[in-house]
Amino acid sequence: MTRTTEAEIVKLEGISKRFPGVLANDRVDLTVQAGEIHAIVGENGAGKSTLMKILYGLYRPDAGAIYLRGQRQSIDSPGRAVALGIGMVHQHFMLIPAFTVTENVILGHEPSRAYLDLKRVGARVAELCQRYGFSLDPGARVATLSVGEQQRVEILKVLYRGADVLILDEPTAVLVPQEVSELFANLRALKAAGKTIIFISHKLDEVLEIADRVSVLRQGRMVGTVEAARTDKRSLAEMMVGRPVLFNLAKPNVTPGEVLLEVDGLTVPGRGARPVVNGVSFKVRAGEVYGIAGVEGNGQAELIEAIMGLRAASRGAVRLQGQPVTGLPPGELRRRGLAFIPEDRHKRGLVLPMTIWENLILGFQREPGFSRPSGLHLNAIMSHSDQLRRRFDIRLSRLENPVLALSGGNQQKVILARELSHDPRVIIASQPSRGLDIGATEFVHQQILEAKGARKAVLLVSADLEEVMSLSDRIGVIYNGEIVAELAGDQATPQELGLYMTGGKGKAGEGVPA
Amino acid sequence: MDISELVASALRMSVPILLTALGAVYTERAGVVNIGLEGMMIAGTFWGAVGAYYYGPLAGVLLGMLAGMALALIHAVVSVTFKINQIVSGVALNILAAGLTRFLCIQFFSMATTSPEVHPFKAWSIPLLDRLSFLKPMVTGVSPLIIVALLLVPVTHFVLNRTVFGLRLRSVGENPLAADTLGVNVALMQYLGVLISGALAGLAGTYLAVEHTAMYIEGMTQGRGFIALAAMIFGNWAPVGAMWASFLFGLSEAVSFRVVATKIPYQFIKMIPYLVTLAVLAGIVRRATPPAADGIPYERGGE
Amino acid sequence: MSETITSPAGRSAAQTPPTPAPARHWRFRVLPADPQARRFFWWQLATPFVAIIFASFIGSLIMLAIGKNPLTVYAEMFAFSFGRIDSVATILFRATPLIFAGLACAISFRVNLFNIGVEGQYLIGAVFASIVGFGLKGLPAYIHLPLVIIAAMVGGVLWAWLPAYLRVKRGVHEVISTIMMNYIAFSLMHWLIADVFLDKTQVVGAGGMGSPRVRMPIIQPSARIPTMHGFFAHLGINFPAYVYVNWLLFVGIALAAVLYYVIWRTPYGYEIRAVAQNPDAAEAAGIDARRQMFRTFLISGAIAGLVGLSDLLAFFGYLDIDFPRGRGFDGIAVALLGKNDPFGVILGALLFGFLSRGAEGVQVFAGVPAEVITIIQGVMILSIVVAYEIVTRYIRIQKKKEAQ
Repeated sequence: MTRTTEAEIVKLEGISKRFPGVLANDRVDLTVQAGEIHAIVGENGAGKSTLMKILYGLYRPDAGAIYLRGQRQSIDSPGRAVALGIGMVHQHFMLIPAFTVTENVILGHEPSRAYLDLKRVGARVAELCQRYGFSLDPGARVATLSVGEQQRVEILKVLYRGADVLILDEPTAVLVPQEVSELFANLRALKAAGKTIIFISHKLDEVLEIADRVSVLRQGRMVGTVEAARTDKRSLAEMMVGRPVLFNLAKPNVTPGEVLLEVDGLTVPGRGARPVVNGVSFKVRAGEVYGIAGVEGNGQAELIEAIMGLRAASRGAVRLQGQPVTGLPPGELRRRGLAFIPEDRHKRGLVLPMTIWENLILGFQREPGFSRPSGLHLNAIMSHSDQLRRRFDIRLSRLENPVLALSGGNQQKVILARELSHDPRVIIASQPSRGLDIGATEFVHQQILEAKGARKAVLLVSADLEEVMSLSDRIGVIYNGEIVAELAGDQATPQELGLYMTGGKGKAGEGVPA
Repeated sequence: MDISELVASALRMSVPILLTALGAVYTERAGVVNIGLEGMMIAGTFWGAVGAYYYGPLAGVLLGMLAGMALALIHAVVSVTFKINQIVSGVALNILAAGLTRFLCIQFFSMATTSPEVHPFKAWSIPLLDRLSFLKPMVTGVSPLIIVALLLVPVTHFVLNRTVFGLRLRSVGENPLAADTLGVNVALMQYLGVLISGALAGLAGTYLAVEHTAMYIEGMTQGRGFIALAAMIFGNWAPVGAMWASFLFGLSEAVSFRVVATKIPYQFIKMIPYLVTLAVLAGIVRRATPPAADGIPYERGGE
Repeated sequence: MSETITSPAGRSAAQTPPTPAPARHWRFRVLPADPQARRFFWWQLATPFVAIIFASFIGSLIMLAIGKNPLTVYAEMFAFSFGRIDSVATILFRATPLIFAGLACAISFRVNLFNIGVEGQYLIGAVFASIVGFGLKGLPAYIHLPLVIIAAMVGGVLWAWLPAYLRVKRGVHEVISTIMMNYIAFSLMHWLIADVFLDKTQVVGAGGMGSPRVRMPIIQPSARIPTMHGFFAHLGINFPAYVYVNWLLFVGIALAAVLYYVIWRTPYGYEIRAVAQNPDAAEAAGIDARRQMFRTFLISGAIAGLVGLSDLLAFFGYLDIDFPRGRGFDGIAVALLGKNDPFGVILGALLFGFLSRGAEGVQVFAGVPAEVITIIQGVMILSIVVAYEIVTRYIRIQKKKEAQ
């Protein structure tokens, strides 16, 4: 039992939370002072969201205690958290676009049981807006609002329910700089009114601008808490990202050949005013691995979807072996020698209820070798599948089993086997080792390097810095939908990359002072 | 062709569609697709006749609505609690309702396809307006259920937009996840929406049997339960829009009865309501905006 | 937790010496090999039976309510249906159109399209078949009959085209559009039979009694379907002549086998399964979902067109306004019972044939109205889908637990 004071409005002590396969929070201690703006930073998967969801009652901790205003509390549901004065603004808005601002704010917390006096309630909402300096029209339909305004509605919801502690989860992820300034002005007004704000982010310059104190989480552990005024981006990035590189694979020595994949000024519209991919350009040559490093949510997923023809781009072009392929459907791209290892293998990569051999030919079911006029050429398919099984060491009991029976690593091998076995010229691998153990990860990396050795062009997208650094010849850092830096693979350091990934520096070209 | 006669007839024909379409608004705004409205209407035709035969028209109304609600309860359990595909459930209910009704008709009346004549409500006349000759057909001999149906339109509008219940109901159909996190009981709202739709469809059936033809006849609903769905879509999932759409369909039916002495074979005239429905669906659906989570069973996922 | 240097995964594929491939024996396997999967398979197979038992239970309650002993009723039903050779023949005869209806619904359900319009499609198919049947004279049977069958399929496709187009191009829900097409079909068929193609050459019955049937002209003998009595006689089964078990039964079973092959062993079948089970992965793999859905809907319509042929070409010999209705809805039930699997559909069709024949029997011999059986059918559909859903969800939870 530690002593805690009223001034420490929120105190988390020894919080641990485990999910299948991962320890999300490992004995985390956190103290938030009343009336401060406290930022929690860390990479993806560092455990920030989990910690806050525990505070908000969405998860129960496996170990540890929560103290509010000096009193120990058990928060077992969001309802309880709200009753205790904690409010959470989620990263993905829980709004109803067809409803007005007022209707969204009061839903579930209506002032009466039956009749809804919208005028009276609207006045109350307007009064709240006035008090905290939000400029919102209570009668406006949320669908017509900008993303920044929608976020303000979410904050209003929380204030309407009487929150003293506001948790904001990656609030600036979807905002343009102008909207970020407006949000910060609102936050300062809230602070002046006595509210406490906990702010989750990975964008260090914004964090330093608004927060009083900053806590850094890394791989589920609390690294430390510092005062914003007494630290800088570099130190924070180092705390966030620094870790030893696990293994070093031998990279084949290949001189890059002709440009096989070219992305030119690609722009993809987003939800709000800001495009989610903004004028991205890069080239990938034969025998080269081009890695796109970045914290998830900075546009990588949309960029890959646009290249693959799964999402429409508003501007720009994609060229495959010199041929323009912008907007062509995925089938056509595959025919032209493009292989795709998707980041969500269950969603885009496999049909889980189907058998392993069926998944091994997904997309290739009409190839002349696999199908005849009378139907699928089972003998050819099965022997091909068997070959793939051996070549890629896929651990399975029978090819006729459904693919969902395989482990994550073996499922990924199925995808790799399928995509790599048709001799593609360009390979796009998006988060290829996500959710895989060390052994499977090593295998994936091996395959990528072999492809490089076979003079293919590999576009690697990964949130895992080690992966990007150990495999890439060149690294492009993506931040806010733009490539902000392009570095040579063997020269980049984790600190430098971490800095760019969190918005530290400017665009490509700015040097790094020693 | 007497215009005011036509309009009066159109009004009468539109009532069953209007009532059912209003019911459909409740259920679809809550996010549950109810294809079984036809079956609930069938139940309403039969049980309305039974109630009216034994105890008078008011009993018929009550019994008809209860019958519709009983079927609706099955649909709600299957669709909301068991999260079965809502189309399949609705189609199964229609088959069940038809069989059940036929069977019960034999049990009650010893006839398979019709009931004996029943007594409708006493017809009303609106006192002052019936002096005007061109309004006369519309305001004399009016069944009170027509008034009820028309009144339900502003009532529904009020309930949906100005009550807490309506707000919560609509939220469930738009974004059940958000509603759930805000403490709205998603399943309860969906149950209520489906039950109300069953009650109104049952009432529509009762009107058909008791007021319109003064007896139950097998198959008398003639697909109106599905036309009502089209009316709801045409009306953009709103009560007032559904009302105008129902008038349109009622008009097409009224026309089809009156156009006898033309060169067009009467079978084509009979097709008019269905052709109109198709045209409406084909042309209009682009601009229509259903509730965002309509037809998707809500499952509280995640950890 | 991890193996590093010794991990076989670390071995590069190029370093592994290629071992000679063992002869791969590909066997058609009904039961899954993995024991747990096999358990799941048996559970899923058992679900329709559970649902049937439940529905029978409900039926028993109704029978009790009207004062009949359910056990004697069911006993009577079985005895009547299986104990008499004409019953067995009737079951086969009644199952024939249901096989086609069930197959039509099943293949459309497989791509998540609800073709409720089988009802209208088969009537239009019957119209087309009838017109070709009586309209073309002097053709040998081996040309005429196939033409009639093709005409029936064309009719079905035609009637399915508009809802399919509306669904794929404009997102119109096919349930409402197909139901509208059904009602339009009823009227259209009535007009064509009663006004356009009415057979005015009919001779009124002897003594001036009777009135002409409202029907199209009689179909040419060259377009009639031969019965299977000769075939069954070879097997030692002698069906009575007044039950018209015909070769369309064989065609239906063959069609089911063909569909099974198409679904599981052709690229097209592969693609529609992929689209239904994971549209995102199918899209990334380059499968054009909309085109395949459209195609499948039309195929469903073509099969639907054949539903009426057994009655038309084997039994009646002409198309009149009292041509049997309701087969489309029965097809939905049969498809659901058979879990959208072609061979399941055959079993479901036989079950419905059994129920329909049994209903006659209990009506006559046990005084139970036939509608009780209809109610059982309705309850059966509902309980089947609920039972399947429960079992599927349970299996899903089990599989998730394993994967942890």
